[in-house]
Parts: sequence; structure tokens; C-alpha cells
Amino acid sequence: MTHGKINNLLKEKPIALELRKVGKVFRSDTGPKLRALENVNLRVLQGEFVTLVGATGCGKTTLLNLIAGLDTADEGNLCLGQGLRFGDNIAHVFQHYTLFPWRTVVSNVSFGLQMRSVPRSERQARAAKLLASVGLEGFEDAYPHELSGGMRQRAAIAQALAIEPKLLLMDEPFGAVDDSTRNELQEMLTNLWQENQATILFVTHNIDEAIVLGDRVLVFSERPGRIAREFKIDLPRPRDRMAKEFTDLFIRIRTALSGQLD
Amino acid sequence: MPRDAQKNRNLWRMSRWLGCPPTGNSSEIWIFRIGSPLGWIVVPVILLIIWQIAAQWLNQPWIFPPVSRVIGQLVHPFREHYASGSLLSNTLISLLRVLLGFLLAAVAGISLGIAMGSIRIIRSSLEPIIEVLRPLCPIAWLPFAIAVFKRGTLPQLFGFGYTRTVFDQVQLGMVFVIFVGGFFPVLTNTLDGVRGVRRNYLLLAQALGAKRRQIFRHVYLPASMPMILTGLRQGLGLCWFVIIAAEMLPGAESGIGYLLMYASDNAAMDIVIAAMLIIGSIGAFLSLVMRKIMSGLVRWHGKEI
Ligand SMILES: Nc1ncnc2c1ncn2[C@@H]1O[C@H](COP(=O)(O)OP(=O)(O)OP(=O)(O)O)[C@@H](O)[C@H]1O
Ligand SMILES: [Mg+2]
Repeated sequence: MTHGKINNLLKEKPIALELRKVGKVFRSDTGPKLRALENVNLRVLQGEFVTLVGATGCGKTTLLNLIAGLDTADEGNLCLGQGLRFGDNIAHVFQHYTLFPWRTVVSNVSFGLQMRSVPRSERQARAAKLLASVGLEGFEDAYPHELSGGMRQRAAIAQALAIEPKLLLMDEPFGAVDDSTRNELQEMLTNLWQENQATILFVTHNIDEAIVLGDRVLVFSERPGRIAREFKIDLPRPRDRMAKEFTDLFIRIRTALSGQLD
Repeated sequence: MPRDAQKNRNLWRMSRWLGCPPTGNSSEIWIFRIGSPLGWIVVPVILLIIWQIAAQWLNQPWIFPPVSRVIGQLVHPFREHYASGSLLSNTLISLLRVLLGFLLAAVAGISLGIAMGSIRIIRSSLEPIIEVLRPLCPIAWLPFAIAVFKRGTLPQLFGFGYTRTVFDQVQLGMVFVIFVGGFFPVLTNTLDGVRGVRRNYLLLAQALGAKRRQIFRHVYLPASMPMILTGLRQGLGLCWFVIIAAEMLPGAESGIGYLLMYASDNAAMDIVIAAMLIIGSIGAFLSLVMRKIMSGLVRWHGKEI
């Protein structure tokens, strides 16, 4: 295959999501208006794993909410790729309150299926299978408050995967777990992504995590949030944290981020 | 070691006696609350003995009857008291009125509470009326209810006429007053519960594909269930208050409150006190049942993550 042909193939890869000059302003009743996002341009291809890093309060959660259709942009436009629909095949793993506390784990996971009127026995079976794939078998009938932080994140991922999403939005899903659990979860997520061929947009504060997971790392500017820098991660998976390319990237992203902080 | 075990057993025995468990397990608390002999046997028996001695010493049973005569009434719940029926039949009539009115209040209060809590225009258009009607004592509705429903009863409403059962005593006016009594506590608690539902849960449901109607049933309802159950418990308690008061008013012709009043007019203080004991016990029982349902239904309450 010639170089040109490969380029063509890459070009033909369908777009999952495109944002053009998107802006968002919050107007509170008392305080002044707050520019959360400004001129955000972003194109994500189908099957891509994109990670997003940025200082706290720079509008990452706001951006995910816009993409999920839970909020509307004030400026610019947002196009979903073919076959993607709000409330149908876009799943969202939230930063907080990721599970319904009044439902058991298995009925949390099958919530999306229940909303789609899938018969009870089928959704139980599918939920049980998903729970097994995230390593939570045996906890079907537990309540979220009976799980550890890491287990809750696994359950939340299973809950999102249950609707068979084509686009998976994840907002700092591994924020509140220890390092080794975090590594396990990252490995699990990578495997699930490779099996399901979903597109993933993943927000994190952790540069290491962003490099381990992403095909591309986007660095957000301070508020109002924009995409300031973009890093392509061409390293083979599973990624070696000790490799020189990895540590070089780490330093470059870190510099880009702290440049934003100055 | 055996000494330790003995000490432990003593601790358990003592805590059992005092009605508080040495450990914080909730199911144990439940058993202990019922099973503590101190509150349930010792104190009542002492009071009964004092009562019996005092009553015999006073010797004026039409004012202060001895325990034995009150118990004599309680162990014969089927005994007919002239035209007013027995303790048991009147208790059943009161309970029937309360349960019917309360059921209607629960359904109406929960539905309206969820609608008002989640849809702003419904809330803003109904809130003023409700704020004015809510402080009104339910008994104040009785004359109006009787004027509207006349002497209509439940079987008549469904076209059965006179059925010669206790249902003939379920006057619609009474049921309406009970309904009013139960409605507001259920409504206001449900409303508070719904308004307190975290926006995150609504977003989560929406992101997982829930439609508006499904969000009512699968988010608003379960998320506000602890508050709804609190409202139901308060509402049922108030219904039981209201029915006794309503039955004691002129115009009533049955019910445990009526029997109490009738007995008082006939200087039968032993029946009056027997009726009071029955009313109190049923009230406590209803509250206990509601509490039990509550702890079973919302295991997650207070443990949000
Ligand atoms: N519903 C809202 N109303 C008003 N202001 C909001 C709202 N949501 C977010 N904001 C503001 O928008 C800005 C961006 O918030 P956002 O939650 O998107 O940040 P973030 O990048 O996700 O931060 P973090 O990393 O801490 O999660 C913040 O300054 C926040 O105060
Ligand atoms: Mg955030």
C-alpha cells in the first residue's frame, strides 16, 4: 500500500462528532455571566479514543454535557456523526452520582434497557453478562452504598455499556480510586474499547492516564475553555509507562498544561 | 475467658432490660424496641396498680373507674351498648373510614406532589390555594362535606343502596374529611422530596435514554420515596386524629369516637377509658406498621453516594 492510499483510508474514516466554534455562557441570577467555553473546535473520528486534560473549572464537564445533549450551546454548532442520537446511543459516565442509590447494581446496569422496554429476563441476563465483564459478578444484588469506590466505577461503566453506545463520554471516571485500582480499570477500559469499537471521549486530570488511554490528548485552556494543544499518541498498546517516548510526551503535555496555568 | 463470656451475657441482659442493644445493628434495635420488658410491662403494671388502688379508694366509678372494670369492657369487645354497637364494630367502622379516606389522600397527594414538584407551572399556579387551605383544620370541612354529600354512603355511591353491612356506616362526608386530613401532609412531604431530587439523577436517567414519563416513575418517585413515606406516616396519624374528633361531633351515629361520646353521656366512664385505650393502641400500631414499611422499602436512605 502506498503512502497516499493510507492517507485516503484515514480520510475516509467517518466522523463521529464535530464541534465548530462552540461557546457556552452561564448566566446566574445574582452574579455576572460566566463564559465556560469559547470557540471550541473539535473533530472526533469513529472508533477513536480521545482524552481531555485541563485545569479544574475550565469547562470539561460542560463540554461533555453539551455533547450528550443534556445542555445546549449558546454559540457555534455541534454535529453528531451518522447514526448517533441523543438519549439513544450516547452514554455518559458522570463525574459524580454515577448510580441510582435506590437500585441494586444489576438494576442500575439494566436501567437503560428498561427505558427501552427490553423484557425483564433479557435485561437481567445482559446486565449479568456485563457485570461479569467488568469483574463484578456476585454483586448483582448489592446496593451502590455497599460497594467500594472502584467497584462503583466498574458498575457505572457497565451501566453505560448496557445501552451499547457508539459514543461513550467519561468524566473523570477513575478520579476517586487508588493507583493500582486505577491501572486495573484503565486496562479493563482499553480492552472493552477494543472489543466494542466505540468512540470514547475521556476527561481526566491525570496526564499519565491521558497518555495511557488516548489516541489523542487534548489540552484545554483555562476558562473560558478552548482546546489549546493537541498531542497525537502513536505508541503501541498496551503502553509502557517507562518508555522514553511516553515520558517525553508526559513532559510536553505537562509543560503545555502549566503554560496554561501561568 | 468464661468470666468474659459471663460479663458479656450480663451486658446483654442489662441492655435488654433497658431496651437498648449493646450493638448498633438495626434489626436488633427493632426486636429490642418491642421486647424491652421495662417499658412494655413494668411501668404499665405499676401505673395500673396505682390506678386500681386510687380508684377503689375514691370509689366514684362514674368519674374514675377501677382498672378491673375497664378491662372487663376490653375483654368483651362484642358486647352491644344499647343502640350504639360494640367496641369492636365501632372500631372497625372508624378504621374503615380512615383507610378509605387515607388511601384516596395518598394517591392524590403523591401524584399532585410529584406533578407540582417537577413542573413549575403547576406548582406556581396551585401553591397559593394550597397554602391557604393547608392550615385549615380538617374538622372545619365537616359541615361543608355533610352539606355536599348529605347522608350518602359508600354502597349508595356505587348503587347498592342499603347493604346491612359495616359499609353502610362509611359516610362519604366522613371519608372526605379524612381525605382532607391525610392529603396535605402527604402532598407537602412529597413536594419537598421531589424538589430535593438531585439534578444529577435526572441527568443520569436522561443520558441513559429515559423519556419524561419514565423519569417521573423511575427517578422522581423512588428518589423522593423516603419523604413520601414520612408524609404517609404523618398523614395516617393525622387521619386517625381527625376521625375521632369528627365522630364525637353531633350528627355522627357510629364509630369509636361516637361510642366514646355516647358512653360519656351515659356516665359509663369504663367504656370511655376502654375506647381511649383502643384508640391509642391502634394509632401506635398504625405508626409502627408505617415505620416498618419505611425501613424495608428504602434501605438506601441516608446512604447516597
Ligand atoms: N449549571 C451551571 N450554572 C452556572 N455555572 C456553571 C454551571 N455548570 C458549570 N458552571 C461553571 O462553568 C465553569 C466550568 O465548569 P465545569 O464543571 O465544566 O468544569 P470542569 O472543567 O469539569 O471542572 P472539574 O475538573 O473541576 O470537574 C465553572 O466555573 C463552573 O462554575
Ligand atoms: Mg468536571
